Amino acid sequence: MTIPFGHALAFAGALFVLGLSCVLIRRQIMMILIGVEIMLNAASLAFVAASAYWRQPDGQVFVLLLMAITAAEVAVALAMVVYLWRRKRTLVADEFNGMHG
Amino acid sequence: MNESLLFLIPLLPLLCAVLNMFFGMRLPRLFAETMAVTGVAGAFVLTLLFWGQGGGEGTRAVLFSWLSSGSLEVSFALNFDRLAAPMTLMVTGVATLIHLYAVGYMHGEDDYARFYSLLNLFVFAMLMIVLADNLLVLFLGWEGVGLCSYGLIGFWYRKLENAKAGTKAFLVTRVGDVFLGIALLWLFTLTGTLSISAINAQAATISPGVVIALSLLLLLGACGKSAQLPLMTWLADAMAGPTPVSALIHAATMVTAGVYLLCRFFPLVSLSAVAMTAITAIGALTAIYAATCAMAQREIKRVLAYSTMSQVGYMFMAVGAGTVAGAMFHLLTHAFFKAVLFMAAGCVIHLADNENDIFKMGGLARRGPPELFWVFLAGAVCLAGLPLTGGFFSKDGILLALFSHPDPVYRVFWLIGVVTALLTAFYTFRLVYLVFAGEYRGAGHPHAIPLLMRWPLWPLALLGLGGGLLNLPAFVGGGEALHHWYGTLAGLEVDASQEVEWMLVGLAAALTGGGWFAARWRYRSYRPPLDNAVSRFLLSGWRADALVDCLFVRPFAAMARFCSTGCDRTLFDGTINGLGRLATSWSNLLVLLTTGRLTSYLSAFAWGFLVLLGWFLLKLVNGGGHG
Repeated sequence: MTIPFGHALAFAGALFVLGLSCVLIRRQIMMILIGVEIMLNAASLAFVAASAYWRQPDGQVFVLLLMAITAAEVAVALAMVVYLWRRKRTLVADEFNGMHG
Repeated sequence: MNESLLFLIPLLPLLCAVLNMFFGMRLPRLFAETMAVTGVAGAFVLTLLFWGQGGGEGTRAVLFSWLSSGSLEVSFALNFDRLAAPMTLMVTGVATLIHLYAVGYMHGEDDYARFYSLLNLFVFAMLMIVLADNLLVLFLGWEGVGLCSYGLIGFWYRKLENAKAGTKAFLVTRVGDVFLGIALLWLFTLTGTLSISAINAQAATISPGVVIALSLLLLLGACGKSAQLPLMTWLADAMAGPTPVSALIHAATMVTAGVYLLCRFFPLVSLSAVAMTAITAIGALTAIYAATCAMAQREIKRVLAYSTMSQVGYMFMAVGAGTVAGAMFHLLTHAFFKAVLFMAAGCVIHLADNENDIFKMGGLARRGPPELFWVFLAGAVCLAGLPLTGGFFSKDGILLALFSHPDPVYRVFWLIGVVTALLTAFYTFRLVYLVFAGEYRGAGHPHAIPLLMRWPLWPLALLGLGGGLLNLPAFVGGGEALHHWYGTLAGLEVDASQEVEWMLVGLAAALTGGGWFAARWRYRSYRPPLDNAVSRFLLSGWRADALVDCLFVRPFAAMARFCSTGCDRTLFDGTINGLGRLATSWSNLLVLLTTGRLTSYLSAFAWGFLVLLGWFLLKLVNGGGHG
């Protein structure tokens, strides 16, 4: 069974919007990070779908690269979350406003 | 003597000035003093050795090429000619004696190195004026004497009024210097050369109108340096300097530089009758103005300062009447007797316990060494023009030249000169009576007068008394030595009959006698000074300072205030500061955007993303053809 390209793109779009909503609405740093992950996965899905549609391997190669980068990003982000927790015993993003002008 | 050694004359004072400037305070005091005197005395001896080379066409020595640009070639050249030689001899000779006197006078002064180096530097600069072969060297000396005069008037700068007097002298003479600078540049553009002799040789080719303008510019330059009307206000205040400075700079040498300048450019100046009349008029007005001021002054040095202005006025009259020899003759005798008067005045002030006011002196003839009175009297009778003294002959020569001038307007100037002579005799003897006659009216204890402050007076006093021998007129059997020495440079011949000459001599003698009797009648027994409107008016120098203040200083200050508070602080600073404030307030608004909160950044990011997306979509819909 082949999934139509349009369906795949629509699903990826919906996933992206869900991730964005999570990023914008939630105040917890953990939840914002999860939203970012969802957005990244939506982008990966779009790449894979496009790769299959045009029968070109570039999209899949890019997704592999993206996975590696995401892993690195999550490692750094979680380390910072631990650090932030130790600083203020909270993970509400708005508490960390020390960089205001 | 080898002509290339001519440069040694100014170099010696310069060398000693530089040494004293840099090492004076580290050397033993005696060494610094000896060096200062030796430098000037060496220049004097060298001038004597070079004397023979001053005759004829003179000696010209080129030291090095100073400036070279295209067709302009200025060499550092000295010219020891008939005009320069007597002046050099006088400057170095009088300066040597005054340096010796200064060693005694500045005995207790701590800051001696600065004093001696400035004094030596002054002699160097003065010699530059005298020996200059081209305009640039002349201007170097001209500005140099101004600088040294400024530094020495304000020598005791811790007293504010002294520093102010120095600044005033500097600024007022600078007004004249500007005119001189214009004249020099104009001369250069006209003739294409800076050499004084070349300019004088080409003078006849310059159009008459330009000659008048140039002569008037030179005259104004000379007025600044020589304290003539209208740039005369600085000289009386310049007496704030040490007495040797007053004797050297403000009596004998620097103030006569203007006369020397006009004599240098006499071939140019004499082409224009208008300019000659203007020179005479300035001289005559200054002579009578300063003489009236001198009659009411109370400070001994101010009396002498005004009399210097008055006598320099005579020299201007002599130049204007066309007799360079007469002007230089009076310049030389005046240098001798006025230096004596100033130096004796320094001793008098010592005796009166640093009191300057002649009304608080009196009886000083018995208080100090007796020879002081005789020396002062010698200077005074020269100044008053007692017959047979140097001052008598030189002044008489000028009055004769004025009287026998073909232009009838010169009779008016002659009359002014005659009246000035009467006033001169009066104020001179007034000074003598008030200082030396009667009982001492002050309360101070006399200071001892060092030997070095006494004996340099004698040679000068004798030179002043016998100065007439320099240029003894023919009708008393003299040879007119100075006149013959100048030869072609001496200016116009004075054409007068024997009867006229004897008549003028008799008149001059009568005037001196008259002035003396008037002073004797008024001041032989002490009377307190008058305090009416006229004497106050004369005491303040005809309120010239107030007039200058009203005409120039206050409008200038108002303009400066306008430029400062009106333009600079309000307009320019306001604009700049306003722009700055505008930027600050804008940035304060923009600061609100940087909340430092992650969530607001994220939403802004999302909105931006939406806008970009929308824009791309719009492009896609409108005309996808562009790609």
